[in-house]
Amino acid sequence: MAYLARFAIGVLLMAVTAVSPRSGDSGPAFTKDGSLVLPSGFRSWVFIGGPITPNGLNDGEAPFPEFHSVYIRRENLRYYQENGKFPEGTVLVKELTLAQVGKHSDGSLDSASGRGYFPSTLSGLDVMVKDSKRYSKTNDWGFFTFGHHAEPYESSAKESPQCAYCHIANVAKTDMVWVQYYPLLRSKID
Amino acid sequence: MRRIIAVLTLGLGVVAASLLPHYSRRVAAAPQTTAVFDAEGRLKLPEGYRHWVFVGAPLTPNALNNGKANFPEYHHVYVEEKNLDVYLKTGVFPEGTVLVKELTRVLNPSFPDGSRTEPSGRGYFNGEFNGMDVTVKDSKRFAATNGWGFFNFGHHPLPYSSWAKEASVGECAGCHIAYVAKTDMTWVQFYPILRDGDKTK
Repeated sequence: MAYLARFAIGVLLMAVTAVSPRSGDSGPAFTKDGSLVLPSGFRSWVFIGGPITPNGLNDGEAPFPEFHSVYIRRENLRYYQENGKFPEGTVLVKELTLAQVGKHSDGSLDSASGRGYFPSTLSGLDVMVKDSKRYSKTNDWGFFTFGHHAEPYESSAKESPQCAYCHIANVAKTDMVWVQYYPLLRSKID
Repeated sequence: MRRIIAVLTLGLGVVAASLLPHYSRRVAAAPQTTAVFDAEGRLKLPEGYRHWVFVGAPLTPNALNNGKANFPEYHHVYVEEKNLDVYLKTGVFPEGTVLVKELTRVLNPSFPDGSRTEPSGRGYFNGEFNGMDVTVKDSKRFAATNGWGFFNFGHHPLPYSSWAKEASVGECAGCHIAYVAKTDMTWVQFYPILRDGDKTK
């Protein structure tokens, strides 16, 4: 009977463990030491824009090489569109992608659809999380980098407060987000 | 002890039950295809596509294309997750797959090449929405063009056309047949997730 009880407890624990990544789906997950766990499923969130700072236009070393695909959960996007600020627990994911190398000095490529920049391989992940208690020193947002390199990214990341300065200097008035680059954040288009 | 087991089993049941609505909702919300045609074979403007999975955004700035890119300028490409999942497993898109390519202009160019400088560096940033092209896989309806139909809802700011008739072979399909017939008529080489798979899944 004790075995049965242990078995039942084990099954229950497994069930709870299996649920926790899903509950993590509704907000950020942290390790005990306050590191952020690599968000999962973000490619199914809403894509809001993809600035590109090509290495070819940045002396070969763009700070964020090169496409910046930004994702947000739908409910957080909707909240922002209605309220002009992001709710607690909002996670913004910026995934980087290298551009295919073309023959032009600016790095652009000639393709059937024209001259320009075309995604190559995934090259990194940066994340910001809104939590006014944890990150009160940096205008309520925590900043994290999971590496600027190909997958796999780091499984967890410590806070990178150095990222906050540029956001504080330039976009403190728009909830620390560069809303001017993202059509869905500039408008209420669904 | 039996009571403990009963309570634990009940708890397990509650956890399992709490998961069920999540899954059933997902299934119920997934129609076979989002492509809607009228009697004349025109395609209805897809809805909700900005909530689909984004797979990549090639960029052909007007300024790098003699002032008039064929697709001005960003090309944001979306696919429904269920169809992406089939593609990742089989290498072929299922019948009914809809691929949406929404265009956006670049934001306020300040250099002759259309780029501008921002704190993150010199480059291109998303301006306004500027048009939409759609492909639909239907091997019966579009047998003449390798199983895919091509539609243009306008290359201009919102709103787009509500309906679009099938584009001629010369306008769209011809180029796909010439270059990407072997990869199910799709430029998978420009979309990291289609080319390399989605390692987060």
